[in-house]
Amino acid sequence: MKYDITVIGSGPGGYIAAVRCAQLGMKVAIVEKYNTLGGTCLNVGCIPSKALLDSSEHYFNAQHTFSEHGIGVGKLELDFPQMIKRKSEVVGVTTGGVEYLMKKNKIDVFTGMGSFKDKNTILVSGEKEQTIQTDKVIIATGSKPSTLPFIKIDKKRVITSTEALELQKLPKSMTIIGAGIIGCELGSVYARLGTKVTIVEYLDRIVPGMDKDIAKELMRSMKKNLKIDFQLSHKVTAVSTTTRSTTVTAENKKGESVEFKAEYCLVAVGRRPYTEGLGLEHIGVSTDERGRIPVDEHFQTAVPGVYAIGDVIKGAMLAHKAEEEGVCVAEFIAGQKPHINYRLIPGVVYTWPEGAGVGYLEEELKEMGREYKVGKFPFKASGRARASMDTEGFVKVIADKETDEILGVHMLGPRIADLIAEAVVAMEYRATAEDIGRMSHAHPTFAEAMKEAALDAWAGMPLNI
Amino acid sequence: MSIVEIRVPEIGESVTEVTLSQWLKSDGDYVEMDEEIAEFESDKATLEFPSPNAGILHIIAEEGSDLQVGDLVCKIDTAAAKPAATATPATTPSPEPTPVAKADPTPVKAEPVSSGKPGKVEEIRVPEIGESINEVTLVAWLKEDGDIVALDEEIAEFDSDKATLEFPSPFAGKLKIIASEGEDLKVGDLVCTIDTGFAGASAPAPSAATPAPAAQPAPTPAPAPTPTPQPAPATKSHATGHPSPAAAKAMAENNIAPTQISGSGPDGRITKQDVLAFLRDGGTAPADQVVAAVEASGGSREQSRKKMSRMRRTISRRLVAVKNETAMLTTFNDVDMSKVMAIRNQYKKVFEEKHGIRLGFMSFFIKACANALMKYPAVNAYIDGDDMITNNFADVSIAVSTPKGLVVPVIRNAESLSMAGLEGKVRELAKKGRDGNLSLEEMTGGTFTITNGGVFGSLMSTPIINAPQSAILGMHRIEERPVVIDGQVVVKPMMYLALSYDHRIIDGKESVGFLVEVKNQLQNPEQLLLGADPVKLVLGL
Ligand SMILES: Cc1cc2nc3c(=O)[nH]c(=O)nc-3n(C[C@H](O)[C@H](O)[C@H](O)COP(=O)(O)OP(=O)(O)OC[C@H]3O[C@@H](n4cnc5c(N)ncnc54)[C@H](O)[C@@H]3O)c2cc1C
Repeated sequence: MKYDITVIGSGPGGYIAAVRCAQLGMKVAIVEKYNTLGGTCLNVGCIPSKALLDSSEHYFNAQHTFSEHGIGVGKLELDFPQMIKRKSEVVGVTTGGVEYLMKKNKIDVFTGMGSFKDKNTILVSGEKEQTIQTDKVIIATGSKPSTLPFIKIDKKRVITSTEALELQKLPKSMTIIGAGIIGCELGSVYARLGTKVTIVEYLDRIVPGMDKDIAKELMRSMKKNLKIDFQLSHKVTAVSTTTRSTTVTAENKKGESVEFKAEYCLVAVGRRPYTEGLGLEHIGVSTDERGRIPVDEHFQTAVPGVYAIGDVIKGAMLAHKAEEEGVCVAEFIAGQKPHINYRLIPGVVYTWPEGAGVGYLEEELKEMGREYKVGKFPFKASGRARASMDTEGFVKVIADKETDEILGVHMLGPRIADLIAEAVVAMEYRATAEDIGRMSHAHPTFAEAMKEAALDAWAGMPLNI
Repeated sequence: MSIVEIRVPEIGESVTEVTLSQWLKSDGDYVEMDEEIAEFESDKATLEFPSPNAGILHIIAEEGSDLQVGDLVCKIDTAAAKPAATATPATTPSPEPTPVAKADPTPVKAEPVSSGKPGKVEEIRVPEIGESINEVTLVAWLKEDGDIVALDEEIAEFDSDKATLEFPSPFAGKLKIIASEGEDLKVGDLVCTIDTGFAGASAPAPSAATPAPAAQPAPTPAPAPTPTPQPAPATKSHATGHPSPAAAKAMAENNIAPTQISGSGPDGRITKQDVLAFLRDGGTAPADQVVAAVEASGGSREQSRKKMSRMRRTISRRLVAVKNETAMLTTFNDVDMSKVMAIRNQYKKVFEEKHGIRLGFMSFFIKACANALMKYPAVNAYIDGDDMITNNFADVSIAVSTPKGLVVPVIRNAESLSMAGLEGKVRELAKKGRDGNLSLEEMTGGTFTITNGGVFGSLMSTPIINAPQSAILGMHRIEERPVVIDGQVVVKPMMYLALSYDHRIIDGKESVGFLVEVKNQLQNPEQLLLGADPVKLVLGL
């Protein structure tokens, strides 16, 4: 039997592409080398990290804020193995959901490593060897944690995010290399639970790519509340291990060599596209200097009929970006003409307070010479934030000076990962700050901060500050 | 509910389809029973359509749409109360413009809410447009009666003699239409009123911030919902023509450009519904896009559709209007061009050296016409109402073909210009025309027009006069033809001349006489002027 489409990789890019292809009437196969579906995101990424972030946040609150709410909990205990077990259950239920979706959409699942024999033949090497005949192929093989050339990841003491989500015993101390989103999120998890966390970062700021004010405020909060030790502008030069500890050597701004000792070293310096064993050479597709598969605007590779999406191609390594591309590639193949506005893919860091942004950064607008105005509203002035004792952060709305069109929205605060969706809707419709300022927002909610910041951006006249 | 659906009635035995040519009432108007609300056209006749009920009119079918007997035309809300204004003293609505100092007729229902500010009703009159323009035609209202308009938002389209002008609203507020479409208005005539007491697009800023104790959002002056779905964009903004994600996909799939659709969303945003409606109404891909070819035995059968440019539409409307409104006919003659050509050949070089300009044929024709116009003033005159206006100057319009269409810049006082002066003007205006740089002023107010179809190879034609002028001369190609002179067949370079004229003020005697005069002057160039060595004089050498 010949399939219309074979998808390689079952992450959010791959499984969504498979579902959409099936919805559009194609006969679809999906190949996944692991026994569970869902890829990085569901197994060792978004979902497990959020499970641990939520658990650890509860623990932290029980320890630090409950008493002020008038709740005494007696002697607080941490059952770390249970926390990890619950996380695994969440992952299990979620990946099971993907399996259900495959059945529902009559998508055939092949377990094993997929590789190209030619552009219409996929070899699946699992428990047994199988070949799949297919008209078209979508590559969605995602990414793997990357490292620095001189660091050897032993997965025992020097670990990546994957292992950090699987530890059986709470570390006493942890050095994290990289203050990006994954470093900050996992750093938060362990710091909340009592691990002494040090984050070493090469740049002079955390969460690069996000708004500068978010970075500043977030770092201040994590230092103050979680006692995380940030070592910015430090260039890591070596990592050494003993059976019980790790030593990270770094060069500070003055050129001096400094050492950070801890039980674990978590390497969170980014991720690289994953194409090993895929047999791209058999179809004449080569990767670029960063290991990514080059594609055209329809996600087609140099070989007609072979497409690629998600972390394995250019662009932000985000699950929702991979999903959008999964939908689009399916629709392109079906002859439709969808469109992704990459400018409007939000970026989020799930710390507490959460940070999120979409659209242009102030620095980008400055560089473009575009005139803009900024409106800001702090959660300190939000009734809802006071009620829940989550008064850190702000919403910042950037609008075109002349037309008032919203050009960027950046926020730090409680549950703003959900709130950023409002900014995306507004910007997809090219709303003005005034438009948002004139829409009713339920009271009292965190979302009111968005309206107030918009009013501030529009005419400098927020109502509640 | 007392909404009555109004459908196309049985009109006559053989009539099954009509075209809704015009709405005589606007959407939202209060109409009386038996009041004429629309005009239908059947195959043969135009029918006025009386409303079978009294109430508020909700227009459904659009102007220009073809309707079958039984199709829905409009709805009438019979529950709606009659507006106060029409109920006052006089039993019949006064045809006078509504007194402006007074407030609007009492809003019936779902009217935009007043902002509560003391509303001021501003009278909007036809502004000074250009020196020679004292009359314009109100071609179309771009907004409907009762619409809330923003400052500088285009509300109407005026036609002057030469150009179409969009008319921006000088105030923000609620529009009350006074002048109707097609009406000719003088500078200073009342066009509409705008009640500035209505919260509109440019709503006032919320008043100074007061730190409220609780985060209770203060009610902001919200723009109230408008009575009916608004077809026209409310205001032009950065987002006008911006499609929603779903609309963008549908447009991409059907090769529709944003400019082809007028968005009905806020500020003219394009909604998915707009795209679907566009497709349903027969909207197709732009002209340069191949439209699905019908399968046929051999040979391509491509068609394309593209909206005419505004200039094209204006030209088309005006040409048809001239044909309908004047008593136009054409008289012909022919002219032996030998002498003009001989003069040209003889003096071409020296003329160019002296004046830095080529000596063309155009100057001869303009000169001949200017002279003949002085002799036959009726050909140089035009009708204004019941009056006839004669001109003691010859402002000759020259038809210039440009990429966008025909334009007719004017050479003023052609009767007193030298040949070099005429050639210079012709060159200058033609260039400006092609570059699109002609000013309104330069295209306004000729008294007679010359058009040269000869440049495209035309042998003979019947040009259409350039209203409000009364005559136009058509030049054609020069070709050698056998003619009989003194009983001998000889070959001469001949050109046919055509003069189309408005018989209402020009009689056959004058038109024919005029054309003969032009012919004689061209055949005897020395007559083009007076005095000794006439040729040298006229060439300014
Ligand atoms: C700790 C962590 C937290 C994260 N949190 C977030 C978050 O909160 N929000 C967010 O948007 N993103 C988050 N991400 C990023 C997100 O997980 C990725 O962007 C997303 O998973 C990319 O999806 P994908 O489909 O391109 O690839 P992946 O999810 O990486 O899936 C690729 C799949 O392909 C399989 N595969 C690869 N090669 C083959 C082969 N040859 N044959 C068969 N199968 C193969 C792999 O086993 C894998 O299952 C996080 C990542 C990490 C590591």
